[in-house]
Amino acid sequence: MFRTSLRTVRTALGSKAFANAPAREQAVSTAFKVQDPKDFNDRVKNSKVPVIVDFFATWCNPCRMLTPRIESVIAEKQGKVLLAKVDIDENSDLALDYEVGSVPVLIAMKDGKVLDRIVGLQDVDKLKQFVDKYSE
Amino acid sequence: MKSRESKEKKSWYFNCCKKPQTMDSDLSDQENYTKSLEKLVTEQENIEADQKFMYDLLVIGGGSGGLAAAKEAVNLGAKVAVLDFVTPSPRGTTWGLGGTCVNVGCIPKKLMHQAALLGEAIHESAAYGWQVPDPNIIKNDWQALTTAVQNHIKSVNWVTRVELRTKKIEYFNALGYFKDQHTICGKMKNGEEKVFTAKNILIAVGGRPRYPDIPGALEYGISSDDIFSLEKAPGKTLVIGAGYIGLECAGFLNSLGYDATVMVRSIVLRGFDQQMANTIAQEMERRGVHFIYQAKPSKIEKQADGRLLVHWVDKERQTHQDIFDTVLFAIGRKPLTEELKPENIGLQLIPETAKIDAIDEQTNVPNVYAVGDVLHKKPELTPVAIHAGRLLARRLFGNSTEQMDYVNVATTVFSPLEYGCVGLSEEAAIAIHGEDKIEIYHAYYKPTEFFIPQKDVSNCYIKVIAFRNGDQRVLGMHFIGPNAGEVIQGFAAAIKCNLTFPKLKDTVGIHPTVAEEFTRISVTKRSGLDPKPQSCCS
Ligand SMILES: Cc1cc2nc3c(=O)[nH]c(=O)nc-3n(C[C@H](O)[C@H](O)[C@H](O)COP(=O)(O)OP(=O)(O)OC[C@H]3O[C@@H](n4cnc5c(N)ncnc54)[C@H](O)[C@@H]3O)c2cc1C
Ligand SMILES: NC(=O)c1ccc[n+]([C@@H]2O[C@H](COP(=O)([O-])OP(=O)(O)OC[C@H]3O[C@@H](n4cnc5c(N)ncnc54)[C@H](OP(=O)(O)O)[C@@H]3O)[C@@H](O)[C@H]2O)c1
Repeated sequence: MFRTSLRTVRTALGSKAFANAPAREQAVSTAFKVQDPKDFNDRVKNSKVPVIVDFFATWCNPCRMLTPRIESVIAEKQGKVLLAKVDIDENSDLALDYEVGSVPVLIAMKDGKVLDRIVGLQDVDKLKQFVDKYSE
Repeated sequence: MKSRESKEKKSWYFNCCKKPQTMDSDLSDQENYTKSLEKLVTEQENIEADQKFMYDLLVIGGGSGGLAAAKEAVNLGAKVAVLDFVTPSPRGTTWGLGGTCVNVGCIPKKLMHQAALLGEAIHESAAYGWQVPDPNIIKNDWQALTTAVQNHIKSVNWVTRVELRTKKIEYFNALGYFKDQHTICGKMKNGEEKVFTAKNILIAVGGRPRYPDIPGALEYGISSDDIFSLEKAPGKTLVIGAGYIGLECAGFLNSLGYDATVMVRSIVLRGFDQQMANTIAQEMERRGVHFIYQAKPSKIEKQADGRLLVHWVDKERQTHQDIFDTVLFAIGRKPLTEELKPENIGLQLIPETAKIDAIDEQTNVPNVYAVGDVLHKKPELTPVAIHAGRLLARRLFGNSTEQMDYVNVATTVFSPLEYGCVGLSEEAAIAIHGEDKIEIYHAYYKPTEFFIPQKDVSNCYIKVIAFRNGDQRVLGMHFIGPNAGEVIQGFAAAIKCNLTFPKLKDTVGIHPTVAEEFTRISVTKRSGLDPKPQSCCS
């Protein structure tokens, strides 16, 4: 049970889809995985709409549960707010720069500025409230 | 350290003023004057140093000892950087920040040991009324186990990383070597080199598993660096070497359901009390681990089916062979000191072992220190490295004079039935004090929880070594049984407080525990009485 759900999340997080069709993926998808600091700069800090940044780790169980939840909440917003997923092991310095200690951490950003952050696993209602504030 | 430091300063004076001076003479007025002069000069030097170097302390090696020293040093206000870099194992395994213990040592080992104990508990639980489906069909999933273990390790790597950042310790993923006494070059993953200068440098590079010089060893063998993250279940495994690592690995592999064999060159657990060591081997054998004694591997070949054909030679020079899926070398560890280019600073190493013979953690190069597994004739244990690192930082930056005490360090071999000890072995006590000066108390015992599942108690055995006369101070305590590490830790504190045998006997036990057996011990070896407990029905 545990192993299947793990696999699903992994596939969802996999960068493969982006590598294959980066441009299109970006256009239609409301969620993406951050590749490196430059990517973060381009797609998160310079984003025209607010971005929720999901700092996660592959080894963290609560992260595995949170990511699909926040993905579904963001998907409902139809592009008014985006989701950027940052693997803290691949982008450690980036995570440390945003003072990520224990994961998962969600950060709401607009115009390159941090507006809000929540730490730890959240239920869907809580996530909706968090995202609603930035999708008006 | 004190002595070396003063030696250094004295020689400075020596060079400048050419005044002959004996090292150990009492302080004369002349010397007092010299001392204050030295002090002035050193202070001057200190001020210069702080401006001249990038760091007060540069630590090479982000493992147990290095990180402990770095954290303590920043707490005391020093500017500190840590270099840590993992060179892949011959098989290509690498890992993150934190050193041997966290990544390929104590932690994964203890977790696999725990997995083994849980397997044992599943079998026992049926006797306690748990309705487990046939325990014999319950199998361990190697991939699930290694994934869980590796995930835990990665979380520790991350926490370490965050801690360094919060404490403002600069961390570089670079392989360091000496350029000069105050300068370290760090080679990054991308090949780029970075130069670091520091007033003090701490060598805490630890060691890596050794491989024997026989055909096939490097190509087909693995080590403790690889086993905890092995993608494929190890299958039938030959463990070569009968030290801590060999016994622990063979022990958990056997309990997890893999056929395990230990190849012993001479004796089991050299340096440990041999009666206890042999009892451990006997207990492992009883549980199904095979032992090949007095044998040395001579060749490993890969067969067409991918399995490994191992040849070995016994003491009669007869050759034998058998087929294994995995061959794990646990024949000791080599310190990573030669890679530091010690010749560039004239750092002396022990020729046979490449270890550093530091005095109070100070090497022969006065501003270069060393802690942990690189130290000559010091226990290769994590808490030893941590404690020495922390105390050194306090002496360097906190005006402390407290030295590391390497005597009476407790340790535990996490074989399936654990063995914990502190202090002298029976052999060492006899060699040091003479047979008639010491008394050896011993007892077999039966853990309460062993009765219902009818677990074998034949190797649950304890031993206390004490002076026979005078205050009857306790010299050594040895325990084989469940949770030996937990049991022996508190007694180690008691020994540090000069525990005597009468005090031990005067201690009221906690019932029912296994640790209380120490308070009940009374039969001496000298008496020849039976150390076995009375039994009710077996
Ligand atoms: C399988 C196994 C089980 C063990 N179990 C236990 C146990 O149960 N209990 C216990 O107390 N001890 C145990 N130990 C021993 C313990 O792990 C060591 O004593 C301890 O890690 C030593 O710490 P250290 O600081 O000396 O070096 P390490 O922890 O080895 O750290 C050294 C670090 O320096 C890095 N490094 C090396 N060279 C360079 C360089 N030139 N530049 C930059 N970085 C470098 C290394 O990659 C490593 O990360 C075990 C060891 C093994 C192998
Ligand atoms: N629980 C713990 O605290 C723990 C656990 C694991 C490791 N450690 C630390 O890690 C250190 C290293 O452990 P280790 O087990 O690798 O080393 P070790 O304790 O030095 O034991 C090495 C073993 O390999 C044998 N050997 C050496 N060279 C050989 C060769 N060429 N061919 C065949 N056998 C050979 C030795 O036999 P001889 O006796 O004949 O030399 C010995 O049995 C230990 O000293 C320990 O401090 C601690």
